[in-house]
This record gives sequence, C-alpha cells and structure tokens, in this order.
Amino acid sequence: MNQYFLECGPFTASAPDGRILYRDVEVSIGPCFVLLYGASGCGKTTLLRQIAGLAPSDKARRVIKGQEYGADRLPEWRSRVTLMAQDAPVLRGSVEENLVFPFGLKNAGKRIFDRAKASKLMEQTGLGHVSMDQRAKSLSGGERHRLNMIRALLWDPDVLLADEPLTGLDVPTAEKCFSLLRDFTARGGKAVICVLHDLEYRNQVDVLMHISDSGIQSGP
Amino acid sequence: MSSFVYLTPFDILTATLLICMAAAISIGLRLGLERRLLLSAARCTIQLGMVGLILDWVFNIHHPAPVVAWLVVMLLFASREAVARSKWRYAGIRFDALLTMIFSAFVVGGVITQMVIGIEPWYNPQYVIPILGMIFGNSLNGISLCLDRLIEHIRSRSDEIELLIAYGATRPEAVAEPLQTAVKTGMIPIINNMAMAGVVSLPGMMTGQILAGSPPMQAVGYQMIVMFMITAACALGAMAIATMVSRRLVSPNGMLKLDKLILKTSRS
Repeated sequence: MNQYFLECGPFTASAPDGRILYRDVEVSIGPCFVLLYGASGCGKTTLLRQIAGLAPSDKARRVIKGQEYGADRLPEWRSRVTLMAQDAPVLRGSVEENLVFPFGLKNAGKRIFDRAKASKLMEQTGLGHVSMDQRAKSLSGGERHRLNMIRALLWDPDVLLADEPLTGLDVPTAEKCFSLLRDFTARGGKAVICVLHDLEYRNQVDVLMHISDSGIQSGP
Repeated sequence: MSSFVYLTPFDILTATLLICMAAAISIGLRLGLERRLLLSAARCTIQLGMVGLILDWVFNIHHPAPVVAWLVVMLLFASREAVARSKWRYAGIRFDALLTMIFSAFVVGGVITQMVIGIEPWYNPQYVIPILGMIFGNSLNGISLCLDRLIEHIRSRSDEIELLIAYGATRPEAVAEPLQTAVKTGMIPIINNMAMAGVVSLPGMMTGQILAGSPPMQAVGYQMIVMFMITAACALGAMAIATMVSRRLVSPNGMLKLDKLILKTSRS
C-alpha cells in the first residue's frame, strides 16, 4: 500500500448560506510543493484550516510520515503541520518576540531559535531595514506577510500551509519569497500546500490541486 | 461597652430632607435630576425597609432554614448581577457565574465564619448574613470585571490567540495572557481598596461598627478580616470564572469557539 507523506481527511465544508463547498475531500501528498487553487469562495482557506486542525472536521484522520494524530493531539499536529494564515497575524510586541514565541511553546521540542538565520531571512525578504525591536503591529501589510513567512521558515515544520503568502508584495519581492518557499521543499522531506490568487507560478510547482464543489483534482 | 444612638422614624425623616434639598437644587438649576433622585430614594427606602423587616424576622426565628434561604437569594441575585454588565454572553454564562460565586464566596465565607470568627451557632445570622453579603458584593465586582475583560480580549484578539494555536500552543498556553490580564483587571479595585483602607476613607463595615458603638480596635480587627476575606473571594472568583470562560471559548484541543458568543442587545 502506497504510504503518503501527508494524509488527511475526509473534510466537508459548507458556506454560511448552507451551500456545500466540498464533501469528503481527502488530501494525500508526498514531500513536494502543492499549489492549491480554485474560484473565490470555493473553500481553499477553510480546507487549509481543516488540515491544520483549526476548523471543525469531526471525521477527519490526520497522518504524517505514517504517524497518526487523533483529536486529542492536535496541538502536536499543528507544530508539525503549521498554517500561515491569510491575514498575516502578528502578536503585540516586538518583531523579535513575534519570531521567537513558537520556540517557547511546550510542543517546540528541541527546536531552538536561530538568530543568524532570522537576520539572513530578513535580508533576503527585503526586511533588512526593520529593527528586531520594532513593534510588529506597526509593520505594513506586506511586511507582516514577510514576517509570517520568516517565522514559519524558522519554525521549520514538516508541512507548511501557506494561505496567500504573497499578498501585498511587489513582483520582485513576491518572486524572492516564493523561491524561499520553493527552497523549503527542495531540501527534501518537507511539503508546502500553498494557496495563491493566480497561477503565475504554476510551472514552478510539483503538484497543481484544483478544488471545487465536485471535489479535488490534482495533477503535476 | 457598646452604646449607640437609637434612630427614630423622625430622625430618618429628617435625613430625607437632605434628599429633598438636593431635589430642590436640581429644580433650581434645571438639571432635570429631581424625578430620578426622588424615585431612587423611594426605591432605596422600600428595599432597605423590606430587607430590615425580613432580617428582623430571620434574626428572631433562631433556625438555620431562613438564614440559608436568605443566603441563596443573595447568591442568585449576585450571580445574575455579575453577568448583567457583560457586553457578550454565551449559553451557560449564568451557571458559570453561580458556580464561581458558590466556590469563592462559600469557601472563603465558610473559613471566616466557622474558623476565624468561630460563630455560635454556625448559622448565627448576625454574622453570617452581613459577612457573606460583603463577600458576594465584592466578588461580584471582581467576577464581572474579569469576565468582561476576558471575553473582550479573546474576541478582539482572536487572530493572535489563533496564531499561537497554529504553532502548536496548548489551550493553557494560548489563553495564558488573556487570563492573566483579566484576573488582574478583576483584582485591581480590591487591591487598591486594601491599600487605601483607613487613609483615604474608613471602610464601610468599620464605619458601621464604630457608629454602632464598637471599640475602634475591635472594628479595625473585623475590618482587616473582612478586607482579606473579600480579597481572597475576589481572587478565587476571578480565577475560577476566567478558567471557566476560557474553557468554554477554546476547546481542549485548541479550537476557538467564538460562535458561542452572543452580543447582548439589551439588559436582561
């Protein structure tokens, strides 16, 4: 039997008006870069949130590298399958506090904060001018998205669920950030499921996954 | 030896003149407050008069049943009032406030009346009713402030809480900051009161005892016990309600349940 890197589902979701967005969707992928796309309001964000265990999905099983996580172990699951939310949330506090906080959590395990890597990623994403002491809430929308990406890359989970991570970025910065996400999976043993607004990057991903009310269709 | 000036209905009527004076000033200055002032004074007179009559009856019966019944009535009113000021509510909020009140007020009240003061018999209404009344009144404020602050924090900063959860935070980790802030908010007035006691104002119970003829040092002793007792009740109440609310709004596996919150449209 073929064992996938990440297996989860079935997921069902409906819109606030009661319309079914998708029903009994299963997501099974290898360690690769997946581009998830579909029409506006088709449930892409909801699916990422269900995979992360942040939205209700009562019947779903979640397995990573053959290890199953039940409902009572969702916090551990989230530390391995981490969502970068669409609105790029930041905590009150400094930029550094925003990058460091995950490493103080119980589920951080042996992970430690790599300051040098953080500085390098700040430079690479065009945040070199931002001080580590600056209040994170004072950052612009695009800067917050980059901060979110840096935090996620430093955290180094098995699977990154990136929900529109390039929002508010100019073309060169967006390309740089996309290539950092691409590098994340290129090292092997990692996966990204990325929701993007357009299909500009379709030729640079391993799998294209289309979501609609008839379910998920995927292909290289 | 205690002595006090016995009040006659005529004395109270004289005091009423002060309210009439305030109403006259309101009319003179066209403040428009006179109607509310007089109605409130009338309501206060009726409420206190009825309480006085009931307490007179409870004191003279020498049986625990009416004392316990009176405490239950106070408890129900206090727990209802504790949630009445909250802008947001959820199904079961009154039950949580009631449990919190029982936990904080009765644990602390029990220790004070039965162990510290050691009243005889255990239900002696002269002690039990005013002491528990003070605990209810003060822990009500703590619970109410804490409840409001915590719900508002979890609701308005849900993106930050979910960010912590998305990185694997457990429920206690995700709600640690809102919980701390809310409990502090609930405790600040009572801590300020304790720090200011005797300097800025003489606390109510002590004033009452001195007016009723108790030696000042005895009044001070009782006031200290009461201060510590209401602080403890407020702290326990705030912590208990904060724990309950965070458990209602965040599932054990860390899923936010903000859909449980209902915006209160009018005072119920």
